[in-house]
Amino acid sequence: MSSARKSAELARQLFALTLDQGRLAPERVAAVLQWVEKHRPDNASAVLRALKRLVEAEVARSQAVIEYAGEVSPAVFAEVTATLSRHYGRPLESVPVARPELIAGLRVRVGCDIYENTVVSQLAALKPVS
Amino acid sequence: MSTVLEQIEQQIARLQAGTVKKNVGTIRAIADGVALCDGLSEAKYNEMIEFPGGVMGIALNLAEDDVGCVVLGDVSKLKQGDEVKTTGRLLSVPVGKALLGRVVDTLGNPVDGKGPIDAKEYYPVERIAPGIIVRKSVSQPLFTGIMAIDSMIPIGRGQRELIIGDRGTGKTTIAVDTIINQAKINRVGLASGDKNFRPVYSIYVAVGQKNSNIVRTIGALEAAGALEFTIIVAAPAADNPANQYLAPYSGAAMGEWFMENGMDALIIYDDLSKHAVAYRQISLVLKRPSGREAYPGDVFYLHSRLLERAARLEGKGSLTALPIIETLAGDVSAYIPTNVISITDGQIFLETDLFNQGVRPAVSVGLSVSRVGSAAQIKATKQVGGKLKGELAQFRELAAFAQFGSDLDAKTKAQLDRGSRIVELFKQPAGNPIPIEQQAATLWAMQKGYYDALPLGKVNAAAVSLREFFVTRKDALLTAIRTKAALDADIESQLKTACDEWKSTFNA
Repeated sequence: MSSARKSAELARQLFALTLDQGRLAPERVAAVLQWVEKHRPDNASAVLRALKRLVEAEVARSQAVIEYAGEVSPAVFAEVTATLSRHYGRPLESVPVARPELIAGLRVRVGCDIYENTVVSQLAALKPVS
Repeated sequence: MSTVLEQIEQQIARLQAGTVKKNVGTIRAIADGVALCDGLSEAKYNEMIEFPGGVMGIALNLAEDDVGCVVLGDVSKLKQGDEVKTTGRLLSVPVGKALLGRVVDTLGNPVDGKGPIDAKEYYPVERIAPGIIVRKSVSQPLFTGIMAIDSMIPIGRGQRELIIGDRGTGKTTIAVDTIINQAKINRVGLASGDKNFRPVYSIYVAVGQKNSNIVRTIGALEAAGALEFTIIVAAPAADNPANQYLAPYSGAAMGEWFMENGMDALIIYDDLSKHAVAYRQISLVLKRPSGREAYPGDVFYLHSRLLERAARLEGKGSLTALPIIETLAGDVSAYIPTNVISITDGQIFLETDLFNQGVRPAVSVGLSVSRVGSAAQIKATKQVGGKLKGELAQFRELAAFAQFGSDLDAKTKAQLDRGSRIVELFKQPAGNPIPIEQQAATLWAMQKGYYDALPLGKVNAAAVSLREFFVTRKDALLTAIRTKAALDADIESQLKTACDEWKSTFNA
């Protein structure tokens, strides 16, 4: 097995240890980092980079990043997050981000999925017609 | 005015579209035309992936942590961290008659400068080959116009016949001549007004070839008036390996449209050796495990799934495939040649020695075979050429034996003489396919000994003269042979009269 594959495999194993009942546990992440620091596996930096990618993807999967323009009430954020939590079958954390360049509407990102209904995206859709 | 209102309404409808869901990822690494992407959790195998700037790619490796995409366009503007997204679409190419006479790239975009192609339909590049139930056995001929092939190694519509040989032995010439012959037959058939006539449309797929060679092929087809019945799919050597890998499948999709719509098509893959090399390159860059000669394990499937798409369908049309394989030093037992030989329904083997001796087309009778084509051969050709292959094989054996001694009996001498005459008769210049009825007349004259009294060097000239005589003076007889497709007593007596008449005028 190549060293890159070994690093990826070890990172996956370490990532599995950072989960508690399917959710990322900060204290477990800290413990894993301590273990890496102590045991210094081969190509430790590659292992940590791979682990970082996995953790980032997991964080993205557990968050609903809601980008919005204009006034949006907290109730809307809560409703969107609750609906998406039901859809994905896991509790999601709501992360609202103001993005005036969207002009109006919402763009919600959960992991790799983006749900978009903004004026900017609709204008972009019109571009090929003109 | 109503059109304007409709346009505005359409735009409003687009604006009122609901929430759009996208599945996205980011480029983690990009090298050698392959992008490794994080995310893309919903990417499917062979799905088109959209890169920034409208560049498209295909998801070929679905790994646990990343997706390996082969980029089909310009990779120079892509960089690490760029967002990519799935499209939910499989790679598709335009199909239909609008492509005839055009030169397109792997994605079906025109590259001939003749403007956009008005294609109404799109077919996916990768399709499952027709199954057992829908297939029909090969029983209709597809004439190449090359006498040595049509008489001894006949090809039927829906067949897969491999053209194999070293570089510079005339493989592409055979393919191009076959396309030219289809165009000639189409023109005659369409002009005749025969409702049962089925034209054959051709698709020429150039994989990994020099641009100059492709231009030469286009020129040859154009000069012969065959381009209007032909689609050329070009993935030259300078194209990225992904395009070279996909080009045969794009061509197959275009051919399948004719087949599915009750028409007949012929597809040339020139050549599958370079196709396998392009696939090997992609596989190695994608870090797939390599096997023999560093080809990936699925290199057999690469060609079998492509060639299985050639078929004759019940109640529909047919797709005949002529794949080309280039051998090294005549080694037909190498990895890719043996793979493709086992997939196809026969092969036309071209020998360098024969080519250098001036026997062109340099078809090796001993190593060439057509496994299903004889069922498609017309009766007239069977009547005049049924024993030719055996006679030629015997001749080759005797010729080799005769080199060791000079005292030969009369029978052996006669066999050698006849064999030499057959070899001479089969010599045919490039770009000059012979209609099947003229072939039948030429071979009939051979069978009846009309060339026996001639010096060996004059046999080919005599055959050319005979054909000219038939075309200019006996056109009705040629038409009768073509329409009846058999030599009955009446036609044979007419042939005898005509040949006697020609013999009296021919001056060797």
